[in-house]
Amino acid sequence: MPIDAANPVPTSYPRLAGADQVPDHVPPELIRTTGLTFGPNFLAAPHKFMADMHNDLPPIFFDVSPFSNQWCLTKHSDAFFMLRNPEVFSNEGATPFPRDPNDYFYFIPIEIDPPEHNKYRAILAPVFSPAGVSKLEQKVRDLSNALIDELIDAKQCEFTTDFGRPLPVSVFLDIMGLPQEKRDTFVEWAVDLLHSNDREIMGRAMHSITQYLKEAIEDKRQNPDDAVISRIVHAEIDGRPMSGPEIFGFVCFLFIGGLDTVFATLNNMWLWLAQNPDRCREMINDPDNIDNQVEELLRCFSVTFSGRMVAKDFEMRGVQFKKGDRVTAILPACNFDPDIFPNPTEIDFSRPRKPILAFAQGVHSCMGAHLARLEIKIAIQEWLKRIPEFELAESAEIIYKPGGVVGPEYVPLVWS
Amino acid sequence: MTQIVIVDNDGREVEIEVSDGTSVMEAAVGAGLSGMAADCGGGMACATCHCYVDEAWYAKLDAPSQVEDDMLAFAASARTETSRLSCQIVIGPELEGLRVTLPDTQY
Repeated sequence: MPIDAANPVPTSYPRLAGADQVPDHVPPELIRTTGLTFGPNFLAAPHKFMADMHNDLPPIFFDVSPFSNQWCLTKHSDAFFMLRNPEVFSNEGATPFPRDPNDYFYFIPIEIDPPEHNKYRAILAPVFSPAGVSKLEQKVRDLSNALIDELIDAKQCEFTTDFGRPLPVSVFLDIMGLPQEKRDTFVEWAVDLLHSNDREIMGRAMHSITQYLKEAIEDKRQNPDDAVISRIVHAEIDGRPMSGPEIFGFVCFLFIGGLDTVFATLNNMWLWLAQNPDRCREMINDPDNIDNQVEELLRCFSVTFSGRMVAKDFEMRGVQFKKGDRVTAILPACNFDPDIFPNPTEIDFSRPRKPILAFAQGVHSCMGAHLARLEIKIAIQEWLKRIPEFELAESAEIIYKPGGVVGPEYVPLVWS
Repeated sequence: MTQIVIVDNDGREVEIEVSDGTSVMEAAVGAGLSGMAADCGGGMACATCHCYVDEAWYAKLDAPSQVEDDMLAFAASARTETSRLSCQIVIGPELEGLRVTLPDTQY
């Protein structure tokens, strides 16, 4: 029975973890303990680790870890199928982010399955659609250049602190209708919530975010504008206004989903650019190919995963999934599937275009995909225009922390 | 099976045999055409399977729904009188010879 989005209740789906919680229908020969997202081999070079999955592992395997046991998909076609068949692979209960059971909310629209899903998503189509996003181009260009102005003379920067984080946060504040003065505070909250690994700091950050967003929601109720929070507050679903938890869950999801993923993506790309000056020159010399460059970099530096709950028993590649199983599409691995992308780890800007899974696919495909593409494109264009040659600082230590969003923690850069 | 023609964004005319009941979007994705994105896979949530239907054929299609009509306004390439979301054009024998053109870009 579909969930009632207006009246959320904490999910009752069990989460299995550890070697003693493997369901009987899982064949022993498909059980693995890969350490995906947290093991030392993964953290040493996560994208290489995920590219190698095509050689090292069966295309579908059951990963056992101390955090969660689940089926993993690495083939592009299997993930494509999963993402495009929500009646078998449901999003209800599939989002692992913890919430206060006494003040529960669903992340909207990601936790809502079709047909309800599209009613929420349609509310923001004017903002996040291709046509909506294209209106932001000049704004993003101006924000990018303002950040470059601040860092260029020092001939060095810590990329993520000085550019990778503030750029998407600035864009986000603008789209949401929140004041730019909040930029540094928002960056701090996002980092505390998503990167501290300290429950007390995370809890405090979540509390601050909740309080601020709830005040902003109340403010927009009284003072409507064209921006996202106001659009959500004043929208209707099937002719009724949304409930408090619906509005908060929608606004909060955009915060959780829209910031860290972009930080990580930019970090990954700038690390690669700094290590590949000849490829930077290639990009600078072929400016009309920027869209393909962005798409190819997104293919090779995808940052996240897509989880589903199996809604009814189903067989894929001869493997039996049972209702209630968890399935994760390892999207970065799918983008290295040699059946779809020959020589998958080679970054080739003239590759024939195929659907990449950086933003997933299907009804739940990333709502911010066009915005992310625009931010990445403009960031690359403006950066390379003003800092065409740069490299990693000699002392730079590239560290990946455990977590569901994959990118280096810091990227210290120098140029002359 | 029904034969249709899709003109890709590089001007190439591609003839495709399509099983009845599948959409023009699915046919274009299946043929690997570069002018097709179809991020949402037919959910009318993304406006990235935009196509221009040849005028002679446009009137023979069922009219777009309200949701499709709303989404077409958000496509990346300019909407015209014969714009449709290709995920909403379902192929049947009455569309033998249908011709659609993909826009320069979907996003």
